[in-house]
Amino acid sequence: MAQIEIKNLKKVYKTAEKEEGFMGNLKSFIHPTYTIKKAVNGISFSIKEGESVAFLGANGAGKSTTIKMLTGIMKPSGGTVYIRGTDPFQNRMENARQIGVVFGQKTQLWWDIPVIETFRLLKSIYEIPDETYEKNMGQFKEILELDEFLHQPARKLSLGQRVRADMAAALLHEPPILFLDEPTIGLDVAVKQSIYQFLKHINQEKHTTIILTSHDLNDLESLCKRLIILEKGEILFDDSMEKIFDQYPKGMTLEEIVIQLFNRRKCG
Amino acid sequence: MKKYGAYIRCGFLEGCAYRNNLITGMLANFIQTAVLYYVWKSIFIYQNTVAGYTWEMMRRYVFVAYLCNSTFTFGFEMQTAKRIIKGDIILDLLKPVSYREMQFFRMLGNAVTEFGITFVFIGILYLGANGLHDLSINRIILFLISFMLGQVIKFGIQYIFSMLCFYTDNAYGVSKAREVLTNFFSGAIIPLAMFPEIFQKAVKYLPFQGIVYIPCSIFIGTFSLSESMQKIILQIIWTLLLGIVGNLIWKKASSVISLYGG
Repeated sequence: MAQIEIKNLKKVYKTAEKEEGFMGNLKSFIHPTYTIKKAVNGISFSIKEGESVAFLGANGAGKSTTIKMLTGIMKPSGGTVYIRGTDPFQNRMENARQIGVVFGQKTQLWWDIPVIETFRLLKSIYEIPDETYEKNMGQFKEILELDEFLHQPARKLSLGQRVRADMAAALLHEPPILFLDEPTIGLDVAVKQSIYQFLKHINQEKHTTIILTSHDLNDLESLCKRLIILEKGEILFDDSMEKIFDQYPKGMTLEEIVIQLFNRRKCG
Repeated sequence: MKKYGAYIRCGFLEGCAYRNNLITGMLANFIQTAVLYYVWKSIFIYQNTVAGYTWEMMRRYVFVAYLCNSTFTFGFEMQTAKRIIKGDIILDLLKPVSYREMQFFRMLGNAVTEFGITFVFIGILYLGANGLHDLSINRIILFLISFMLGQVIKFGIQYIFSMLCFYTDNAYGVSKAREVLTNFFSGAIIPLAMFPEIFQKAVKYLPFQGIVYIPCSIFIGTFSLSESMQKIILQIIWTLLLGIVGNLIWKKASSVISLYGG
């Protein structure tokens, strides 16, 4: 069974358009005009268990929007999404048990209370058995070095510590699918490295399906076996990571290929 | 049920973390009560009764109204509204827990400390001003039931108002509007029996009276026991009604969530 199955998925945003200047603002206030923006424009793919998939695309290409629809927090404008056979938006709570999510720009840790309390809360809401909890916490503490800040409130953590804690929080209930939306944004090289090592370990040991968006091309390349390139809400490339190199002259790095791809798209 | 216990626990810890916020908020409410107390006191120097209320009744009403109105507020709308506007609400939606229940139990945990302190503090002031007489165990029990229902009604209203932020983007305006409406129509400032007739009629059809006026009237004895029972039933009806309305709005609001992506 495919873990993730999407067909002709669409998302349309309606945004109010403000005209310039004082009179323009007044006009927009009285008679707002809206523009329709197609963030995701009919994409289809399916992902199998244990795959590691990288979403790549320029800013605004629709990566985050796709992830939000896959996690069930956003209602698609059209098309279908199935996560392990169920519609994530209709069965939000059921779906939430099967997935783990990390948004690099946001945190699920409780801001004002010690980090360990968030973990205890997660243990209760996902009904994680004591043994599993102890086992996983032990492992995360070791690999992600959580011990140094477990008893501090989340607001006092550095970015690197926060992301490591968020990573552990997303995986505590051993979800079969893990979504990561720019998890390493703004992190230093060492922390990045340890996080990608950890993800690789999770992917290989537990066969967790990983869907990842990032702009760190080298890390994507080392972690993910499959690459999906999005551009203007459409799929530009969807195949195994090696295939993309076959299409371009030998010796080109992923970064060079991507730059060329985006540029060509802009001109064309 | 265990998971909601966990939310109460975290809410409680969170409530303790905001100690200064809590103290200043309570101080502001207290000043309001003190002002009300002295305003009423000076009014009753010139008049023996106002719309059937004597000074003895009024000075009990003021304190009990404070207790009903000040607990379980704690900037709830502001917090949730900000989460909605900033987009952090998506993290709450990624949990296998009902959003409303999550917020309710978190609030409950938040309110424990606040309520405990207010209860002791107001209790002392109340006893200082009124002494022990006129307290009966029946009324205290009825009052506690009515008080709790009142807090649930308050949450129901706050929850609905907080969701307006999906549409308005203005957390402050929404929470201020709700606050003014509750303060006025709940009887927190003036007992509703003193309102002009038109307002009294309007208030009958609004949920706000369940927050302050009903529990207070039960406590100070302006409602007979059978009337108290009727009003408690009315509170229960409002609780259910607000629950249903909240559900409907949530269903609609949660599908426009796309506006607040990151």
